[in-house]
Amino acid sequence: MDSTLWAKAHGATTHFPIALVLVSFALDGAGFVAAGRPVARDLHAAGFWTMVSGAGGSVGAVASGLLMTKGGVLGHDALRMHHLFVWPAFALLIALATWRAVVGRNLTRPMLGGYLVVVATMAALMTAAGYYGGEMMIAR
Amino acid sequence: MKSKISFQLRAVALALLAGGVALTSAFGAARVLRRVALRTSHQQPTPEVWFETPTPTSPVLVKEGRTLFLNNCAHCHGIDATGDEGPDLHGLEVSDRYIANRITHGIKGEMPSFAKKLHRDEITRLTAYLRSLD
Repeated sequence: MDSTLWAKAHGATTHFPIALVLVSFALDGAGFVAAGRPVARDLHAAGFWTMVSGAGGSVGAVASGLLMTKGGVLGHDALRMHHLFVWPAFALLIALATWRAVVGRNLTRPMLGGYLVVVATMAALMTAAGYYGGEMMIAR
Repeated sequence: MKSKISFQLRAVALALLAGGVALTSAFGAARVLRRVALRTSHQQPTPEVWFETPTPTSPVLVKEGRTLFLNNCAHCHGIDATGDEGPDLHGLEVSDRYIANRITHGIKGEMPSFAKKLHRDEITRLTAYLRSLD
Protein backbone atom coordinates (compact mmCIF):
# COMPACT_ATOMS: atom_id res chain seq x y z
CA MET A 1 0.00 0.00 0.00
CA ASP A 2 1.15 3.52 -0.78
CA SER A 3 2.62 4.85 2.49
CA THR A 4 1.31 8.34 1.72
CA LEU A 5 -2.25 7.15 1.02
CA TRP A 6 -3.70 8.43 4.31
CA ALA A 7 -1.80 11.70 4.05
CA LYS A 8 -3.36 12.21 0.63
CA ALA A 9 -6.78 11.16 1.94
CA HIS A 10 -6.45 13.59 4.84
CA GLY A 11 -5.52 16.40 2.48
CA ALA A 12 -8.48 15.53 0.26
CA THR A 13 -11.07 15.28 3.05
CA THR A 14 -10.02 17.95 5.48
CA HIS A 15 -10.94 20.96 3.32
CA PHE A 16 -14.61 20.05 2.99
CA PRO A 17 -15.55 20.56 6.65
CA ILE A 18 -13.49 23.76 6.83
CA ALA A 19 -15.20 25.26 3.78
CA LEU A 20 -18.68 23.99 4.70
CA VAL A 21 -18.51 25.33 8.25
CA LEU A 22 -17.35 28.75 7.11
CA VAL A 23 -20.11 28.86 4.47
CA SER A 24 -22.67 27.70 7.04
CA PHE A 25 -21.61 30.51 9.37
CA ALA A 26 -21.91 33.03 6.54
CA LEU A 27 -25.36 31.74 5.52
CA ASP A 28 -26.76 31.72 9.05
CA GLY A 29 -25.17 35.12 9.70
CA ALA A 30 -26.86 36.49 6.60
CA GLY A 31 -30.13 34.91 7.71
CA PHE A 32 -29.74 36.50 11.13
CA VAL A 33 -29.26 39.92 9.54
CA ALA A 34 -32.14 39.37 7.12
CA ALA A 35 -34.52 38.26 9.90
CA GLY A 36 -38.20 38.64 8.97
CA ARG A 37 -37.61 38.51 5.23
CA PRO A 38 -38.63 35.41 3.25
CA VAL A 39 -35.02 34.77 2.23
CA ALA A 40 -33.96 34.30 5.87
CA ARG A 41 -35.68 30.93 6.08
CA ASP A 42 -33.88 29.69 2.96
CA LEU A 43 -30.55 30.96 4.27
CA HIS A 44 -31.04 29.11 7.56
CA ALA A 45 -32.05 25.94 5.71
CA ALA A 46 -28.86 26.15 3.62
CA GLY A 47 -26.88 26.96 6.79
CA PHE A 48 -28.30 23.87 8.47
CA TRP A 49 -27.41 21.49 5.66
CA THR A 50 -23.91 22.89 5.18
CA MET A 51 -23.31 22.53 8.93
CA VAL A 52 -24.54 18.92 8.96
CA SER A 53 -22.47 18.15 5.84
CA GLY A 54 -19.44 19.76 7.45
CA ALA A 55 -19.89 17.66 10.59
CA GLY A 56 -20.24 14.51 8.49
CA GLY A 57 -17.15 15.44 6.50
CA SER A 58 -15.15 16.07 9.66
CA VAL A 59 -15.52 12.41 10.64
CA GLY A 60 -13.74 11.43 7.43
CA ALA A 61 -11.08 14.07 7.98
CA VAL A 62 -10.42 12.90 11.54
CA ALA A 63 -10.40 9.23 10.54
CA SER A 64 -7.90 9.78 7.73
CA GLY A 65 -5.77 11.97 10.03
CA LEU A 66 -5.65 9.27 12.68
CA LEU A 67 -4.74 6.63 10.12
CA MET A 68 -2.04 8.93 8.74
CA THR A 69 -0.46 9.51 12.17
CA LYS A 70 -1.01 5.87 13.19
CA GLY A 71 -3.13 6.97 16.11
CA GLY A 72 -1.08 9.98 17.17
CA VAL A 73 -3.36 12.43 18.97
CA LEU A 74 -0.78 15.04 19.99
CA GLY A 75 2.77 14.84 18.62
CA HIS A 76 5.43 17.53 18.43
CA ASP A 77 5.77 21.10 17.20
CA ALA A 78 3.29 22.09 14.46
CA LEU A 79 1.54 18.72 14.69
CA ARG A 80 0.96 19.28 18.40
CA MET A 81 -0.44 22.75 17.75
CA HIS A 82 -2.62 21.35 14.97
CA HIS A 83 -4.04 18.74 17.32
CA LEU A 84 -4.56 21.17 20.20
CA PHE A 85 -6.94 23.13 17.99
CA VAL A 86 -8.42 20.20 16.07
CA TRP A 87 -9.84 18.21 18.98
CA PRO A 88 -11.95 20.96 20.58
CA ALA A 89 -13.04 22.09 17.09
CA PHE A 90 -14.12 18.57 16.17
CA ALA A 91 -16.09 18.05 19.39
CA LEU A 92 -17.74 21.47 19.03
CA LEU A 93 -18.61 20.84 15.38
CA ILE A 94 -20.36 17.55 16.14
CA ALA A 95 -22.12 19.16 19.13
CA LEU A 96 -23.30 22.14 17.05
CA ALA A 97 -24.60 19.98 14.20
CA THR A 98 -26.43 17.76 16.68
CA TRP A 99 -27.94 20.75 18.45
CA ARG A 100 -29.05 22.21 15.15
CA ALA A 101 -30.63 18.92 14.10
CA VAL A 102 -32.48 18.55 17.41
CA VAL A 103 -33.74 22.14 17.50
CA GLY A 104 -34.81 22.05 13.85
CA ARG A 105 -37.04 24.95 12.92
CA ASN A 106 -37.73 25.95 16.54
CA LEU A 107 -34.87 28.41 16.31
CA THR A 108 -35.49 31.71 18.09
CA ARG A 109 -33.41 34.83 17.45
CA PRO A 110 -31.54 34.74 20.81
CA MET A 111 -30.80 31.04 20.31
CA LEU A 112 -29.49 31.76 16.82
CA GLY A 113 -27.32 34.59 18.14
CA GLY A 114 -25.75 32.29 20.74
CA TYR A 115 -25.34 29.56 18.14
CA LEU A 116 -23.50 31.94 15.79
CA VAL A 117 -21.09 32.96 18.57
CA VAL A 118 -20.23 29.30 19.25
CA VAL A 119 -19.92 28.56 15.50
CA ALA A 120 -17.55 31.53 15.16
CA THR A 121 -15.44 30.15 18.04
CA MET A 122 -15.38 26.72 16.46
CA ALA A 123 -14.53 28.18 13.02
CA ALA A 124 -11.63 30.11 14.63
CA LEU A 125 -10.34 26.89 16.23
CA MET A 126 -10.68 25.06 12.92
CA THR A 127 -8.89 27.84 11.05
CA ALA A 128 -6.02 27.75 13.54
CA ALA A 129 -5.83 23.96 13.13
CA GLY A 130 -5.76 24.45 9.36
CA TYR A 131 -3.01 27.02 9.71
CA TYR A 132 -0.76 24.60 11.61
CA GLY A 133 -1.69 21.83 9.17
CA GLY A 134 -0.42 24.09 6.40
CA GLU A 135 2.70 24.89 8.41
CA MET A 136 3.58 21.21 8.44
CA MET A 137 3.31 21.08 4.66
CA ILE A 138 4.98 24.39 3.77
CA ALA A 139 7.26 25.60 6.56
CA ARG A 140 9.31 22.42 6.64
CA MET B 1 -42.65 28.22 28.55
CA LYS B 2 -41.37 25.58 30.97
CA SER B 3 -41.52 22.86 28.33
CA LYS B 4 -39.69 25.17 25.87
CA ILE B 5 -36.80 25.63 28.31
CA SER B 6 -36.80 21.92 29.04
CA PHE B 7 -36.61 21.20 25.30
CA GLN B 8 -33.73 23.64 24.88
CA LEU B 9 -31.84 22.10 27.79
CA ARG B 10 -32.35 18.64 26.36
CA ALA B 11 -31.07 19.84 22.99
CA VAL B 12 -27.92 21.28 24.60
CA ALA B 13 -27.39 18.13 26.67
CA LEU B 14 -27.77 15.94 23.60
CA ALA B 15 -25.35 18.14 21.65
CA LEU B 16 -22.73 17.97 24.42
CA LEU B 17 -23.21 14.21 24.62
CA ALA B 18 -22.70 13.89 20.83
CA GLY B 19 -19.54 16.01 20.98
CA GLY B 20 -18.21 13.93 23.85
CA VAL B 21 -19.01 10.66 22.11
CA ALA B 22 -17.30 11.88 18.91
CA LEU B 23 -14.15 12.84 20.81
CA THR B 24 -14.11 9.65 22.88
CA SER B 25 -14.59 7.56 19.74
CA ALA B 26 -11.73 9.35 17.98
CA PHE B 27 -9.40 8.84 20.96
CA GLY B 28 -10.50 5.22 21.28
CA ALA B 29 -9.76 4.60 17.61
CA ALA B 30 -6.41 6.36 18.03
CA ARG B 31 -5.55 4.05 20.91
CA VAL B 32 -6.26 0.98 18.80
CA LEU B 33 -4.21 2.37 15.89
CA ARG B 34 -1.29 3.13 18.19
CA ARG B 35 -1.34 -0.37 19.63
CA VAL B 36 -1.23 -1.84 16.14
CA ALA B 37 1.61 0.51 15.14
CA LEU B 38 3.62 -0.17 18.30
CA ARG B 39 3.28 -3.92 17.78
CA THR B 40 5.41 -3.55 14.64
CA SER B 41 8.02 -1.41 16.43
CA HIS B 42 10.86 -2.61 18.60
CA GLN B 43 10.96 0.71 20.45
CA GLN B 44 9.44 1.37 23.86
CA PRO B 45 7.65 4.73 23.90
CA THR B 46 8.81 7.42 26.31
CA PRO B 47 6.19 9.73 27.88
CA GLU B 48 6.69 12.50 25.32
CA VAL B 49 7.24 10.26 22.33
CA TRP B 50 4.15 8.25 23.26
CA PHE B 51 2.07 10.57 21.10
CA GLU B 52 4.60 10.61 18.29
CA THR B 53 3.88 9.03 14.95
CA PRO B 54 5.77 5.76 15.19
CA THR B 55 8.04 5.09 12.24
CA PRO B 56 7.64 1.52 11.01
CA THR B 57 10.74 -0.01 12.53
CA SER B 58 12.22 -3.48 12.60
CA PRO B 59 15.78 -4.77 13.09
CA VAL B 60 16.05 -5.12 9.30
CA LEU B 61 14.97 -1.52 8.70
CA VAL B 62 17.32 -0.26 11.40
CA LYS B 63 20.21 -2.23 9.87
CA GLU B 64 19.49 -0.84 6.41
CA GLY B 65 19.10 2.62 7.90
CA ARG B 66 22.51 2.33 9.55
CA THR B 67 24.10 1.48 6.20
CA LEU B 68 22.44 4.54 4.66
CA PHE B 69 23.59 6.62 7.62
CA LEU B 70 27.21 5.50 7.24
CA ASN B 71 27.15 6.27 3.52
CA ASN B 72 25.43 9.65 3.70
CA CYS B 73 25.53 11.16 7.17
CA ALA B 74 28.43 9.75 9.19
CA HIS B 75 31.06 12.11 7.78
CA CYS B 76 29.25 15.04 9.46
CA HIS B 77 27.30 13.45 12.33
CA GLY B 78 30.03 10.97 13.32
CA ILE B 79 30.25 7.25 12.73
CA ASP B 80 28.20 6.55 15.88
CA ALA B 81 25.90 9.59 15.35
CA THR B 82 27.20 11.29 18.48
CA GLY B 83 28.08 14.37 16.46
CA ASP B 84 31.13 15.81 14.74
CA GLU B 85 30.66 18.71 12.37
CA GLY B 86 26.91 18.10 12.63
CA PRO B 87 24.96 17.63 15.89
CA ASP B 88 24.47 14.51 18.02
CA LEU B 89 21.44 12.60 16.74
CA HIS B 90 20.75 10.54 19.84
CA GLY B 91 17.42 10.94 21.63
CA LEU B 92 15.86 13.20 19.01
CA GLU B 93 12.69 14.80 20.35
CA VAL B 94 11.21 15.84 17.04
CA SER B 95 8.57 14.24 14.84
CA ASP B 96 9.34 11.77 12.07
CA ARG B 97 7.97 14.30 9.61
CA TYR B 98 10.45 16.86 10.91
CA ILE B 99 13.34 14.42 10.48
CA ALA B 100 12.19 13.53 6.96
CA ASN B 101 11.88 17.18 6.00
CA ARG B 102 15.33 18.02 7.36
CA ILE B 103 16.83 15.17 5.34
CA THR B 104 14.87 16.10 2.24
CA HIS B 105 15.28 19.87 2.31
CA GLY B 106 18.41 20.28 4.44
CA ILE B 107 19.14 23.40 6.49
CA LYS B 108 20.31 26.48 4.66
CA GLY B 109 24.04 27.00 5.21
CA GLU B 110 24.28 24.05 7.58
CA MET B 111 23.15 20.84 5.96
CA PRO B 112 22.69 19.86 2.31
CA SER B 113 19.44 18.58 0.82
CA PHE B 114 19.25 14.85 0.18
CA ALA B 115 16.11 15.11 -1.95
CA LYS B 116 17.86 13.87 -5.08
CA LYS B 117 19.97 11.28 -3.31
CA LEU B 118 17.54 9.51 -0.99
CA HIS B 119 14.12 8.14 -1.84
CA ARG B 120 11.19 8.22 0.55
CA ASP B 121 11.60 4.59 1.62
CA GLU B 122 15.31 5.19 2.25
CA ILE B 123 14.42 8.15 4.47
CA THR B 124 12.03 5.86 6.34
CA ARG B 125 14.90 3.40 6.91
CA LEU B 126 17.18 6.22 7.99
CA THR B 127 14.53 7.50 10.40
CA ALA B 128 14.10 3.98 11.78
CA TYR B 129 17.84 3.90 12.52
CA LEU B 130 17.76 7.34 14.15
CA ARG B 131 14.81 6.26 16.29
CA SER B 132 16.78 3.24 17.45
CA LEU B 133 19.46 5.50 18.96
CA ASP B 134 18.96 6.05 22.70
